[in-house]
Amino acid sequence: MEKTGAEILLNTLSKEGVSEIFGYPGASTLAIHDCMNETGIKHLLVRHEQAAAHAADGYARATGKVGVCIATSGPGATNLVTGIATAYMDSTPMIALTGQVTTGLLGSDAFQETDIIGITMPITKHSFLVQDVRDMASTVREAMNIATSGRPGPVLIDLPRDVLAARSNDDEEVAGGFPEQQEAHFGEEERRRLKQIVRLLNESERPVLLVGGGVKLSRAFTELADVIQKGNIPFVTTMMGIGSVYTPNGFNLGLIGTHGTDLANRIVHQSDFILAVGARFSDRTTSVIEEFAPLATIAQIDVDPTSIGKNIKTDISVVSDIRVALQELLGLVNEKKREDWIARIDRERERIAKEGSDDGCGPAGECIRMVQECMPEKTIAVTDVGLNQIWAIRSWKVKIPRGLITPGGLGTMGFSVPASMGARIGAIDHEVVVFTGDGGFFMNIQELATIGFYNIPVKIVVFNNGNLGMIRQIQHHFYSSRYRDSRLSDLVNITEIAKGFGIPSEKVSADDPRKGIEKLCSSEGPFLLEVVVDEDNYVYPIIPPGKSNVEMIYGRSE
Amino acid sequence: MKNEVKEHVISMLVNNRPGVLARVAGVFGRLGYNIESLCVAETISPKVSRITSVSKADPAFTEKVKKQLNRLVDVISVAELEDGTSAKREMMLIGITIDEKNRPELSRAIAMFGCTVISMQESYCILQVAGNKGDVETVLNFLKPLGVKDIARTGAVALESES
Repeated sequence: MEKTGAEILLNTLSKEGVSEIFGYPGASTLAIHDCMNETGIKHLLVRHEQAAAHAADGYARATGKVGVCIATSGPGATNLVTGIATAYMDSTPMIALTGQVTTGLLGSDAFQETDIIGITMPITKHSFLVQDVRDMASTVREAMNIATSGRPGPVLIDLPRDVLAARSNDDEEVAGGFPEQQEAHFGEEERRRLKQIVRLLNESERPVLLVGGGVKLSRAFTELADVIQKGNIPFVTTMMGIGSVYTPNGFNLGLIGTHGTDLANRIVHQSDFILAVGARFSDRTTSVIEEFAPLATIAQIDVDPTSIGKNIKTDISVVSDIRVALQELLGLVNEKKREDWIARIDRERERIAKEGSDDGCGPAGECIRMVQECMPEKTIAVTDVGLNQIWAIRSWKVKIPRGLITPGGLGTMGFSVPASMGARIGAIDHEVVVFTGDGGFFMNIQELATIGFYNIPVKIVVFNNGNLGMIRQIQHHFYSSRYRDSRLSDLVNITEIAKGFGIPSEKVSADDPRKGIEKLCSSEGPFLLEVVVDEDNYVYPIIPPGKSNVEMIYGRSE
Repeated sequence: MKNEVKEHVISMLVNNRPGVLARVAGVFGRLGYNIESLCVAETISPKVSRITSVSKADPAFTEKVKKQLNRLVDVISVAELEDGTSAKREMMLIGITIDEKNRPELSRAIAMFGCTVISMQESYCILQVAGNKGDVETVLNFLKPLGVKDIARTGAVALESES
């Protein structure tokens, strides 16, 4: 039967398992919106296209499914860019649909035309311009395949208006489509290399696993936990690796790197063997490369060959799906007590506790722990960027896979509120809590309208210190406390704004937040809690630029 | 690292589609490598193009570029071609003004180097030279003092000697 390009697009997406699309309509994409209901896909109307991309990203991170967003040509498409870049940096499987002017007008600077494929080339895994309606179905299938295979990432499909309107037979196949994306193959060579890694791991005295975001992406949660338990191997995580594994018995040494814990950074520094699993050794993880883990042999498992040896020279590596590799590894790893190593870590932990060098993120950290206590265990936390992010990732104890969503790679302020909408809609059985600062909150404040309109029951905690707190901290330490351009304002009445959007709201002080937190947790629908934080509350310890992971600056947030 | 800079010939097969060259070129640019020469044309299969690029770069170049190129969906294969195991040729068109003084010398050069005369007018001619880079440069250097007005060269095309 003949269908329009728009219908074929949506039908194919639906067959591929897409049930929600986040977006904003425009003249170029109306053909799609016009038939969305009939195809059974639900559209969520956001208030700014950037939010559509972040919502799709949050949806994908919370569910493991592909997130889909849509925007019209020109400004609609360019507004997606920050969201696409965020997804690209954190390897989120995403499809971005953009309207485009009719094929005859391409390149003519037509009204609302931009070369969105050109603009997004460095921040997409791949992109397509559909020029013939007969290519629509195969392009969509190929895009889904590319977005999810290997190291996932965003794929953009640019859709000229006339192609969306053109008719074609739904099941018509144009020959010579794309080859299937090859999944990394685990063969003899991979097995041989993995055995070498396991031998080194078994022989090592002081091993540490470095857990990155790749574990989540390959759904290797149980495999990783099993390896850790069987081999008695302590582990640290990168920011993206948080929430990959939960072990109740103290094997988790915490976050490593610039904003990492004292314990994690010191133990990695002392280790003699590091196995990185789905981590790319970003500059935030290693600080000064030459001084990273000086005593350790470094092994790496990653599905993406470009991530291996990119930033740090690894001694041995395997290119493989993490889950497949960990399944193999589990059978080979020795059950070993490692009493000396565990005792040494415990001594370090006690010393740090006694010296109080890890300050627990002050009143904000305490506030986050209180929120977690009164929310169900399955709650997902979504952070923004800045002090709130570091407070949250260090204070929220992630107990479920995908239990923490944070824009680690790009560090996108304004991410949390729209991402939380996507997460809450995707993970229907989970409560979602947002931790943001006043800076990031204002960057996508318009999404309170979306939350209010659809009554999306997200709980938003805004830490308001009237400043760009992390910038202020950097200025404090490295710019002789000249706080230029980092002061926001405390003139804005955030709770009244929330109420204006139809969202109940309370304001509390970080020193006495209990009443507000109880209201936040017991509310049926969305709720906003403004927590006033002192502007001199920072995060400690931190690592100054140009210093190694064990040259931290200590301090206290009172 | 600087003193280990050498010429690298990368040969890749890519899908013959719009925008593919931009993606490929983007990889070199993002990694900070210059493309000294570039040659793109259809292969025996019209769906596939071969891109041959030459860059002067440090030893880290090959691995970095190969890995990133392999990530592109439209790239089918990537290989670095080494001197001993591949044939490498380039072609140059040389435009020269002709006058009474240089005519004899020019005729001698055409015969000596086996240049092909592509066009010949009264006071201007275009010669074609093909060979390895050294051959082409030798001819150019010889002709320069005779009044070379303009040149166009292809850059290297290369093929592995054994299939």
